[in-house]
Amino acid sequence: MMHALKIQPAEETAVRAPTRRALAKQQTRAKVLAAARRLFSEQGYEGATIRDIAAAAGMSTGAVFANFTDKSDLFREIMLTDMVALADAMREAASHGASAEDALLKIFTAGYRFYQTQLPLARAAFSVGWSPQDGPALRGSPPVQTLVDLFAEQLARGVKSGELAQDPDAALRTQMLFDAYLANYDQAIFQGWTLDALQARSRDQIRILLAGVRRA
Amino acid sequence: MTSPPHLAATDDPPGGAAAPPAGDAAVAAPSQRQTQKEATRNKVIDAARELFDTQGYQGTTIREIARHAGVSVGSVFTTFASKGEILSQVMADRLDGLYAELDRVMPHLRGATIDRLRTMFAIHFAFEVRHTRLFLSHIAAAYDWTLSAGATPMGKNRRLQSIIRECLEKGVAEGDVCPDADAQEVIDLLMAAYAWTYRLAAWNDADAPAMTAVMDRQIGLIAAGFQPRH
Repeated sequence: MMHALKIQPAEETAVRAPTRRALAKQQTRAKVLAAARRLFSEQGYEGATIRDIAAAAGMSTGAVFANFTDKSDLFREIMLTDMVALADAMREAASHGASAEDALLKIFTAGYRFYQTQLPLARAAFSVGWSPQDGPALRGSPPVQTLVDLFAEQLARGVKSGELAQDPDAALRTQMLFDAYLANYDQAIFQGWTLDALQARSRDQIRILLAGVRRA
Repeated sequence: MTSPPHLAATDDPPGGAAAPPAGDAAVAAPSQRQTQKEATRNKVIDAARELFDTQGYQGTTIREIARHAGVSVGSVFTTFASKGEILSQVMADRLDGLYAELDRVMPHLRGATIDRLRTMFAIHFAFEVRHTRLFLSHIAAAYDWTLSAGATPMGKNRRLQSIIRECLEKGVAEGDVCPDADAQEVIDLLMAAYAWTYRLAAWNDADAPAMTAVMDRQIGLIAAGFQPRH
């Protein structure tokens, strides 16, 4: 819920002098998204139906479908909106990194902090992200690419500063760092790891994954 | 529970069939009801494997599985509590064969730890390549709310983890794995890389050699983090 609030101003500034109808439509969308966010968190992606979401938003399923093509569209909208805010939080965290390695750790941690209060939604996102049907659309979306790029930028920064050697495997290394970041959510979701524990694990993982390019 | 016989025909890795555990065969003259239940179970597993493979886990309903298997929805539920549990059983039946193969092969592998790891994962890809969508479904199902207690999602299966661990311990003994390396961290990184590689197959149509090539590079990258520094 927290960053539903955070996101809203950005959405509103994008709309110039909305007509009353546009405003009503926007409110309807916001209501559906808020209800969907809650139900996906409570019942998971599979468990939440459009019918339930419509009921929770106090409208007909028809009204939901007037705004979203289907459940996966609705879910993707929630995730992608979050990821734009997540990318901002990560970029800000990385800017305080003393080195590329430290910046990467700060990026990992910013992500875990971001989702700390809404792990059930993260869990639903993994369920969708791994599904053969909806996974590619979610994983291949521009906001996810922005996150991946942020990881790549830190490696490039390390090469530039001389901390890391030139890396023919930079793309692969970036992907592996991103996957390690994602894989740790399992510990957060299923084993209740604290932010500190996740951070300690991330530090070790980053150290292992940078070992091949770190200059002595 | 006896491994269904169809596994031997369709899913065994080349060069070695995994015989079902002999112990269960000793159960003499099962009652007709038991036999029937076993037959239903096998039909459901067969149908589910096919449907999960083609339509994915989310796209498949219990009703469809029942129809495809030629049994009633009710009789599916007398054997399995949920769709997630059927998927777990489909995967477990398949993996029995894979692990039997690995148990046979692993003790005889020679060479550096990095090469033994590469061989071990290559065997996985050769075994699973025709079922990559099913594999992804198995991972996706681990995050499903409706998953029942009887299900064993991907990652909860400790077998692969212990195989990797033995591989690393052998490496420590032979001096090409740094004793300070945290085995669990290396295992988790390898598992994450392994799972990611399936995505490549399911979404980009990569074949087993292509998956193996990518995994080889990832293992090389991780190995730089656990090999002793010279």
